Amino acid sequence: MNMTIKSRRTFFQTTFLSSLVMVMSNNTLFASVTPLQTLAVVQEDLFPKEMITQANAYAYINLIFKHSRVSAQDKQFLRNGAKWLNEEAVAKYNKVYTKLSSKQRQETLEIISSKSWGESWIKTVLSYIMEAVLGDPLYGVNKNESGWKWLGHSTGLPRPKEMFL
Amino acid sequence: MKYDYDVCIVGSGAGGAPIAYELSNAGYKVVVLEKGKNLTEEDVSKDELAVSRRDMYTPNLKDERHIINNREEDGSITRYDGYEYSWNFWNGSMVGGSSNLMSGYFHRMKPNDFKLKSVFGEVKGANVVDWCISYEDLEPYYEKVERVVGVSGEVVKHSFLEPRSTQNFPYKKLEENAVTKWFDKACDVLGFESIPTPRAVLSTNALDRNTCSYSNFCGSYACATGAKGSARAALLQKCNAEVITEAFVYKLDSDASKITKVHYYDKELKSHEVTAKVFVLAAQAIETSRLLLNSKNEFFPRGMANNNSEVGKNLLFSAGGSGEGRFRFEDLDEAKQKELMQTGLFFNRSLQDWYEFQDDGLKYKGGTIDFLFEHANIISRASREFYNEEGKLIWGEELQDKIHKKLTTSRVLRFEVFNDWLPTDECFVSVDEKTKDTFGMPVGVINLWGHPHDVKVGEHLAKKALEVLEEMGAKEISYNISAAPPPNLVAGGCRFGEDAKSSVLDKNCKAHELENLYVTDASFMPTGGSVPYTWTIYANSFRVADIIKKLI
Repeated sequence: MNMTIKSRRTFFQTTFLSSLVMVMSNNTLFASVTPLQTLAVVQEDLFPKEMITQANAYAYINLIFKHSRVSAQDKQFLRNGAKWLNEEAVAKYNKVYTKLSSKQRQETLEIISSKSWGESWIKTVLSYIMEAVLGDPLYGVNKNESGWKWLGHSTGLPRPKEMFL
Repeated sequence: MKYDYDVCIVGSGAGGAPIAYELSNAGYKVVVLEKGKNLTEEDVSKDELAVSRRDMYTPNLKDERHIINNREEDGSITRYDGYEYSWNFWNGSMVGGSSNLMSGYFHRMKPNDFKLKSVFGEVKGANVVDWCISYEDLEPYYEKVERVVGVSGEVVKHSFLEPRSTQNFPYKKLEENAVTKWFDKACDVLGFESIPTPRAVLSTNALDRNTCSYSNFCGSYACATGAKGSARAALLQKCNAEVITEAFVYKLDSDASKITKVHYYDKELKSHEVTAKVFVLAAQAIETSRLLLNSKNEFFPRGMANNNSEVGKNLLFSAGGSGEGRFRFEDLDEAKQKELMQTGLFFNRSLQDWYEFQDDGLKYKGGTIDFLFEHANIISRASREFYNEEGKLIWGEELQDKIHKKLTTSRVLRFEVFNDWLPTDECFVSVDEKTKDTFGMPVGVINLWGHPHDVKVGEHLAKKALEVLEEMGAKEISYNISAAPPPNLVAGGCRFGEDAKSSVLDKNCKAHELENLYVTDASFMPTGGSVPYTWTIYANSFRVADIIKKLI
């Protein structure tokens, strides 16, 4: 048992996105969730699941969190947004975001989209979704160029030979 | 005394490369110190994620930033840390500099641009002056750039066509999208003079370089065929000047009258020195002033060539802004829909009808309007559809449908307005002694203010552009003219002039205060003209190269 906890802790420390954020309600700890779990669900709530899957958008978020050219502030904002979204969900439904029904999740997104941070956060997540849907497949996204085919897009040549991370 | 080199050039872009090309071809030993890497045609791609989303060609702002002191309308100053606010004033750290990434819209300045004060008079709050050279002095060099760097186009007569020593461009104009015919027709109806935009892009195999491949990704991207007239492809790859890459020059040394050496850090932060007979700075406007200000010694306690406290002053950007209109399938027949969606071919149209104009009985210096299709970047185009017509953020299937409809059944034609950014006391470069970059040097401070006159002129021009879009049948027409500075159109800071008390450089672009220091990027420009700067930077640098050749 102890070993399990220990190894889980080690795992949590390895990635910023997988580490827990504390969801607070009325100044007390309500639950702890990982931003990655929340973001995976949010991505499917913000863009059709089939396209998110084809784009491999879940894995792309991990790549963004490790990217040398995404600033620490931007990474922190992505993480904080996941925490605040959960706090909104708890305030309204007494459940963390991932435990809500689809309708409740959409309602929660509507609520936060009327707030300055929430609008900005949803736009940020959408931007990364677009990068995954329409970026070069070299990055492990846009499988079979499905995003480009969707829009009839001819990419510029030459294509990249290695990722810029 | 024995020198390492005859000529040492700091910066390998449009300001430095002509000097390297001319002096090395004349048999002199030349070295170019370039902060970035050497990326050739084989190394570059159209990777939108890397180039446009993650800024792969500019330094990481965490390591190298600017401080921006923005002057607000009430006169107060707001300080922005470029890293914290993601405000990026870098343009391309690589051999050839930002000329690799330009669109290459090439316009010459007009004769009256060289005598703005004499022709248009003073503007209150601005430091407008005449240049100390004339258009006639620079014309042979504009022509030289057409041949050596390679400019394609077609000269058409219009009200503000500048005098030319040759009849036409050496390279025929690039292939054009059929929508240019809609544009020409609209201009005919309106009585405007449509001009095919000259481009620093080869339309045929020439100069030991390949022709344009019409990749549809030109601006912001480095060229993979060599067609674009970057300082690297056109000049540095065509001469035997030595280029030392990943060399960040952090300090100049001098005695009372001459630069004696430059110091640079390599990528391991190891310091090196270079001696030469002549030194040329061309690190792009902001960085050139910063290097001078960071180079203090007993002879120049306020920075190199700065005993009259002129270095950094009268920083210029390009004033104006941009606008656009959308052509939609529902307004077009099938043939026109096909024409609209042709990709790869260039739009290449400009208007200069209002390069000078009268309003309320007053004579104004106006500017240039370039028209172009919205950039092909697919992620950017999709990302601009996040809001519905009511201005509400949308997602899910609603967003999916909107993106699909907009990107597959319509296309945006944009315009860019270029007019003079008037030089003022409030817009200048300084350094921040407390904020250091990764090399331990004080970072450049951009003290920012745009004169209200600039916005007034920009508005006048933008409204003319809107008339064309309306006549063409575009919908969703909008524009934005503001005092926001375009980071890729920067000049001034070391203006040239006859009087050492009010200028840094003499008419040869040599520092008044030093015998062997030249500045050949856009820093020398006391006013900017109403066109993109690159052609003028190239031309002036070729002019200075001839001067150095005679003196060395």
